[in-house]
Amino acid sequence: MEQLAHAAYGLYLVLILAGAWAAVRCRNLVRALLGLIMTLFGVAGMYFLMAAPFMALMQILIYVGAVSVLIFFAIMLTRTPGGEAGEEGGGARPAVRTVLALLSGLLPAAILAAVILTKAPQSLPLKPELPLGRLGQFLTGPYVLAFELISVVLLAAMAGAVVLGFERRKSA
Amino acid sequence: MTAQLLELLSHPLGQMITALAAIMVFMAVNGMALQYAERKVAGFIQRRPGPYEVGPHGLLQPFADAGKLISKQLVAPLGADRLLFWIAPLVSVAPVVVCFLPIPFSPLLTGMNINLGLLLILAFSGLNTLALCLAGWGSNNKYSLLGAARAVAQSVAYEIPLLLSVLAVAFQVGSLDLAAIAASQTQGLLSWNVLVQPLAFIIFFISGIAETNRAPFDLPEAESELTAGFHTEYSGMCFGIFFLAEYSYMVVVCAVATALFLGGWDGPVFPGPWWFLAKTFALIFAMMWFRWTFPRVRFDQLLNICWKWLIPLGLANLVATAAIVKWVQ
Repeated sequence: MEQLAHAAYGLYLVLILAGAWAAVRCRNLVRALLGLIMTLFGVAGMYFLMAAPFMALMQILIYVGAVSVLIFFAIMLTRTPGGEAGEEGGGARPAVRTVLALLSGLLPAAILAAVILTKAPQSLPLKPELPLGRLGQFLTGPYVLAFELISVVLLAAMAGAVVLGFERRKSA
Repeated sequence: MTAQLLELLSHPLGQMITALAAIMVFMAVNGMALQYAERKVAGFIQRRPGPYEVGPHGLLQPFADAGKLISKQLVAPLGADRLLFWIAPLVSVAPVVVCFLPIPFSPLLTGMNINLGLLLILAFSGLNTLALCLAGWGSNNKYSLLGAARAVAQSVAYEIPLLLSVLAVAFQVGSLDLAAIAASQTQGLLSWNVLVQPLAFIIFFISGIAETNRAPFDLPEAESELTAGFHTEYSGMCFGIFFLAEYSYMVVVCAVATALFLGGWDGPVFPGPWWFLAKTFALIFAMMWFRWTFPRVRFDQLLNICWKWLIPLGLANLVATAAIVKWVQ
């Protein structure tokens, strides 16, 4: 079973990294979105490995099922399909952009790797899956302030969208 | 040899692979059977015989169609994004296979016992929207793109009442495990959730029809307006795969409705998977009946039904359920 877990870890790692590479490097926005979705799937797989299937399924339901569809809608509303209009041109030259992308990717990776390599944690035994009820109690108990603050942020975003929509209608 | 095989099959991974293979066979057979059934139902509703020439009562028609679809050439339109164009049918059909895993056909006949089965189905069925988007975008065709735009607006809207109605049942039973929810309804007809939660059942079924893009909510592929919507450019088996995915999603929606609201495998005599299948296919028959009875809604009507009726009713139902559950405790 442990070899299986290692293999799954490797697979998810490849999914995450390849997806991230595609998301950054693809000139076509929809293909970049596909890369992002791949990464999100890989992260969901990692949650599965950590015995948190609820988080994993929520990741798929919300990020893959809703957020990426929303991003797709945004791409669709702002660009025409095919041709160069669907592609993103940057300000900097390609070589400069590659260097910048590598820098922004490698720097956090190097810092994290340094921490992990110098203070390597023992591999922990897998904790038992937390029942859903306990998760809910945590959210409405000790973490209630953070939970409510996040919902306020969402509310603000929604109200902002409505206000923008009304202003657009007035000027039209 | 047999012992080794049994051991391999009893391993969780072996079990899952067996279940996935069985599901794929079921999907293929189901796709052929349902397309025959749909044409026959359509025929009888419109007072014509339906397929009648190939085999007795046209029974061999699905095989002829399958052969035709498989042998046709696959064509990608000029200027299409090849990668997205070919990947879209696969994204459409692959998640359905996973959706079948947690469905409890009977306490024994379940692909995989997971305590979050309902959530798994909801999560993976959401991927279908993405597939329609990719198909619409990748085709380089204005009808396809319009179909994809409609698919997004429709499925994002109808996912909310669907989740609200499912949540009401989950609140009531206190579990997201489909087998546990079905098992909670085995004390006779009165314990079926369709009688306990009739409003939730109606909301679920309407949203389910909209989520599977079936008429009267088939706007993403409205043939009189958009040629064939998102799959205008698909030929041969690529169209066949979209078709297979649609019919499999129908079975998933109806099977979930059976497990959530119609008592699952329970029946008056001999409870077992046959009751589950009978209820599922009765619901599918109702879906086909709807398709040939109601005219297609307009897009503003579609969104009005959702935002002005289903979502407020679903919210009220959910709040009432939560209050009653709390009160009973």
